[in-house]
Amino acid sequence: MKFTKILSLVLAVVMMAACFVACGNNDDTPDTADLVGTYDITMWVSEMDGVAAQFQQQIDAFEAANPGIVINAQIEGVTEADAGSKVVADVATAPDIYCFAQDQLARLVQAAALAAPGKAAAEKIKANNDSGSVAAASVAGTLYAYPMTSDNGYYMYYDTSIISEKDADSLEAIIAACEKNNVKFRYALENAWYTASFFFATGCHSTWTMNQDGEFTSVDDDFNSAAGLAAMKGMQKLAQSKCYDSNADIFTDAGVVITGIWNAGAAADHFGANLGATDLPSFEVDGKSYHLGSYTGNKLMGVKPQQDAKKAAVLSLLAQYLTGEECQSQRFASFEWGPSNKAAQASEAVQANASLAALALQNNYGIPQGQIHGSWWDIAKVLGADAKAAKSDADLQTALDEYKTTIDGLFQMTEEQKNAWGVIGGICGTSWDVDFAMTEGPDGTYTSDVLALKAGEEFKVRQGASWEVNFGVEFNGANIVVEADGNYKVQLVWDGAQGGTVTLIPVE
Amino acid sequence: MKRLNDLEYLKLNKFDAFLYKLKLFFCAIPLWFKSLGLAIVNFFKTCGLAIKNEFVDIGTTFKKGNWAVKLSFFIFGVGNLYYGQILRGILFLLFEIVFIGYMLVPSGGIYWLSKGNWFQTGATIGTVQGRFEYDPIYDTDVWVTGDDSVKVMLYGLLTIIFIIAFIYTWRLQVKQCKICIDITAKGKKVKSGKDDLKSLLDDQFHKTLLSLPLFGIMAFTVLPIIYMVLVAFTSYDAAHDGYSNLFSWVGFEHFNELFNFGKGGLGLAFGEILSWTLMWAFFATFSNYFLGMFVAIMINKKGIKIKKFWRTVLVMTIAIPQFVSLLYVSKLFDSSGIIGKLLGQIPAISEYLSANHFISLWDSPIVAKILVIVINIWVGIPYIMLMATGILMNIPADLYESSRIDGASPWQQYSKITLPYMMFVMGPYLLTSFVGNLNNFNVIYLLTGGNPLNTAIGTAGGASVGHTDLLITWLFKMTLGSSESKYYMASLIGICVFLVVAVLSLIVYNVIPSTRNEEDYK
Amino acid sequence: MKKTNEKTIKKSGLGAKASRRLGNAVIYVILILITIIWLFPFVGITLESFKVDVRGMDGRFWPGEFGFDNYIRLFKETDFFNWFKNTAIMGVATAVLQTFFVLSMSYVLSRLRFKGRKGLMNLMLILGMFPGFLTMILIYKVFSDFGLTMEMAPLGLIIVYCASSGMGYYVSKGFFDTIPKSLDEAARVDGATRWQVFRKVIMPLSKPIIIYTVLMGFMAPWGDFMLASYIIHENSAGMSVAVGMYEWLSKTMVNTNYTMFCAAGVIVAIPVVAVFLALQKYYVEGVTGGAVKG
Repeated sequence: MKFTKILSLVLAVVMMAACFVACGNNDDTPDTADLVGTYDITMWVSEMDGVAAQFQQQIDAFEAANPGIVINAQIEGVTEADAGSKVVADVATAPDIYCFAQDQLARLVQAAALAAPGKAAAEKIKANNDSGSVAAASVAGTLYAYPMTSDNGYYMYYDTSIISEKDADSLEAIIAACEKNNVKFRYALENAWYTASFFFATGCHSTWTMNQDGEFTSVDDDFNSAAGLAAMKGMQKLAQSKCYDSNADIFTDAGVVITGIWNAGAAADHFGANLGATDLPSFEVDGKSYHLGSYTGNKLMGVKPQQDAKKAAVLSLLAQYLTGEECQSQRFASFEWGPSNKAAQASEAVQANASLAALALQNNYGIPQGQIHGSWWDIAKVLGADAKAAKSDADLQTALDEYKTTIDGLFQMTEEQKNAWGVIGGICGTSWDVDFAMTEGPDGTYTSDVLALKAGEEFKVRQGASWEVNFGVEFNGANIVVEADGNYKVQLVWDGAQGGTVTLIPVE
Repeated sequence: MKRLNDLEYLKLNKFDAFLYKLKLFFCAIPLWFKSLGLAIVNFFKTCGLAIKNEFVDIGTTFKKGNWAVKLSFFIFGVGNLYYGQILRGILFLLFEIVFIGYMLVPSGGIYWLSKGNWFQTGATIGTVQGRFEYDPIYDTDVWVTGDDSVKVMLYGLLTIIFIIAFIYTWRLQVKQCKICIDITAKGKKVKSGKDDLKSLLDDQFHKTLLSLPLFGIMAFTVLPIIYMVLVAFTSYDAAHDGYSNLFSWVGFEHFNELFNFGKGGLGLAFGEILSWTLMWAFFATFSNYFLGMFVAIMINKKGIKIKKFWRTVLVMTIAIPQFVSLLYVSKLFDSSGIIGKLLGQIPAISEYLSANHFISLWDSPIVAKILVIVINIWVGIPYIMLMATGILMNIPADLYESSRIDGASPWQQYSKITLPYMMFVMGPYLLTSFVGNLNNFNVIYLLTGGNPLNTAIGTAGGASVGHTDLLITWLFKMTLGSSESKYYMASLIGICVFLVVAVLSLIVYNVIPSTRNEEDYK
Repeated sequence: MKKTNEKTIKKSGLGAKASRRLGNAVIYVILILITIIWLFPFVGITLESFKVDVRGMDGRFWPGEFGFDNYIRLFKETDFFNWFKNTAIMGVATAVLQTFFVLSMSYVLSRLRFKGRKGLMNLMLILGMFPGFLTMILIYKVFSDFGLTMEMAPLGLIIVYCASSGMGYYVSKGFFDTIPKSLDEAARVDGATRWQVFRKVIMPLSKPIIIYTVLMGFMAPWGDFMLASYIIHENSAGMSVAVGMYEWLSKTMVNTNYTMFCAAGVIVAIPVVAVFLALQKYYVEGVTGGAVKG
């Protein structure tokens, strides 16, 4: 009896000490004393073998580090690629914490399925993670999710016994080698995520703007251009080769597979000693050489909005812990997931990983994925099929024309949207890609919500998310520059034509 | 067109008879419209008369009835209680209490009805939008729930149904009072509760047996269908899911999309997919039917041994879940699958593939279409085979015997005895299996997923359109299969599918033999 | 047509016996071919499940090495047993309830005559034409509200499978139609109520159709993927085999779980094949009694 007492005393001391050590690491850890309690939560994490088990261990560790907080987690394996659309399908019963691929962020924000981290937490997350991942987790300057990995990109696995290191730089040489050896070049060109790489190679871009509700408002896309045609020609070379196979999820007969970190194990199994991993090759069209681009992306962790503030705070703490340096490093060690945390990235083991090295090489040509309209994936993947089916350059051009028409068709605005005014600029953490809505008052003026503006920031107001009707210092004039930091409402007095003035109204 | 009399009609051979019926059917269409017009006029006349009669009836009941009957116009069941029908009276009374209670309690019927902004174009369904509120103590956003448009619409609809039921019940018990008055006036005894219960196992036995199945159908088919039809008039999609963002009534706005025949237009996509769906259903139904029958005839032929073994082999395919076997088969025909590789070595095929830059057989629209039909034969034959086996056993053997004596060849036996017999008895099955194939999700989804993509259409209704997409797989992609989840679009298409299938079945039902008179065959 | 006649006449010149033997030989060849084609995927999946040297798709038909690793993994490392249990429970419950619903509906429509019978049949024909799964969108929301999704999905699914099953009355109504009406009438003359006629006269004669309906109900949950995945909503505790197994084919899992997927497919097929083979006779009787009449 006495022994037990002593033991429990010792345990308590050790736990206290652990707590102090944990707190000592980080001065601004919020006081968790008033969060004590038992929480039943549900979680969706990657369905890969062992992932759920590791998350459970990490939650146990979190409990140990935060005495008094007891978390009963029910963890389900759900593909990150689908998690977002599953959550949107039924937000009310969605899991409290879920992991998803960044392309679903906009849809999730729009469906109010993400609780943004608090102000202090957001600052910390922004400081600790690489800028690409922070951008990927943000909509209109607000951080909505917790970056978990920075490895959602693709690169090339190849058979070194067929393709020499030098040949691996040239698409044409690789195609020739594959055809000669009768092996497959596996590249999912009928998936827009991969299709885009040819367009990025020739310098095309496709960027989307949305408002702060997560609704897309316009697109700036030049796939239908001379450069785009060159990309189509490059794609055609590969797509019409007999070694090409659009199924890059399997390795059967493969000489080359363009895929990502999730297939690292399968690649090692298939290629064995001949495994090569490097960046994507270059292709030549009309005498010019282009290095294939790619999307760089992230996996994020999201927290469902809660009605109970205390639970929300605990979930936020837990999500911060699970996406922190320690947990990201553990996941790298177990599953080779590339960390987004800067400290974890700097570790030796991460630096030495072949797949991540290939990804890092490719990232030099990478475009951060940002936020993309959900329909774009279906629209752009058709280009891959078109390149394969094309019989002439004219066919390629037709495909691009149709692509452009469809994209533009996404933004057939209602009269209401066309007439709506918005503030746009380098403000509130956005860079001329978000329209902050203005509402029409009874007096006929248009006023924005309260915006936190900083001195030196520039902005304009425009109608219908287009630059046709806009005001700076005058109609279609220069940008308005903010003179002093503060909270403002932007107000427009407009006569319905070219007369109007924009004023900044300070708000306390 | 010349009409044949019965004798002439019977003299025609089967094919001519079929043609004759088809002709009759199409000639009758103008007449239909005429009779339809007349029927509508008549309908309104009869309706008007019926309504008038109802009111007269109600009026006389009120006038003739004593205090109890008069009271039961306001309090249900009093009349029944007065005349000694305790059980009925109590049930009626209970119904009224429950109904009024439901309507009046907070978050009851009136509450839901008032939130719906019913059919006001532009108005949201539900009035309180859920929103975030910042909690400075915990430095976190908190979600304040608002209305859920889905629920508002559902409970509103239910309330409307309850109100209709209430009115119906009111009328019912008034009518019962009248009956009681009439019966007692004749000096007879009214039915007691005990009689009522007894008759549920006898005269009214159908009510007992039907109650549960019908309740299931009403709750799980009729109600959702009415609901989905209403959705076509709203903006219900992933961006307006009702819970996070209220959706609103939009009137007929989406219906315009149906007439968009440009690239990516709903009209174009619908037309294209519909024509393939019909083609698919036709080939899938008839290829299975004839080949399955053929296999059954072979197995049942005299002199063929181990009949049970052959049947068992075929039945095995029914037993493996389709999502396992079909996925395996689809991989077989892939460029790296065994059969795909084998076929790829045939010069004609490999030339065709490389000339069109197709990698696997699944990339070619026409080959993919043929493949799904062929593989569907693999799926469907066992069912038809089993069925045809039974029917074959039912054909009287002496028919064959006497025809053999008359010198008929096996082919003649088949075309003159077997086929007509089968055709006759399996006609209705063909119809249901045709409708089933129109909505055959599994085979297409698991084999091709709708691919190859139809680049001439691109995306329509928020989902990519493939060459082998059926309407049902397209609908699936539009709703559950995409993050856009355009429910309103799907419900619009659903309505169109319904109209098309209904018209088709009507035609088929009128043309094929053996459907009209169900008492024929006994 | 004419050509065929000539041929058969010539053939019959060879002597009826010889021509029949030739015909039978041809039929045997065709039947053997059919056997090969129909068994090919079955055998292929079984072989796939015994592969131990690969876990993904490798395009080979024959395993490089045989073993039971996939089956062992299935029960040791995954929730498969739980899924199997869920599906079996669903199968049994669906079989019982669905049989009750379908038989009541079809018996009433076949044997009893009452006001609104024709209208009811037409209504159900029309309802059957609306793409059924659209109704799931609402049903899901309601179930989610009542907690009949996720862990409770098996219960929810049983309700979904059974509730509207009355609409599939065609086959069994056809069967009842073939039972002579004079039987009922004789019993009625003897003073039996309709309930007694149903229980004592018709049911004993309906063994084939009962077994057929039970069989169909039992098999439904094993193969259903679309509705089940919607209602289950990614909850492993409530999963059916179809939904659980389908996850193994996702991009990130197919390379490690494909052979296990095939092993699971084989295990799922075993009870269904067994039940089916045992009751095949009734199935044929039931379906032919029924399908011949709509």
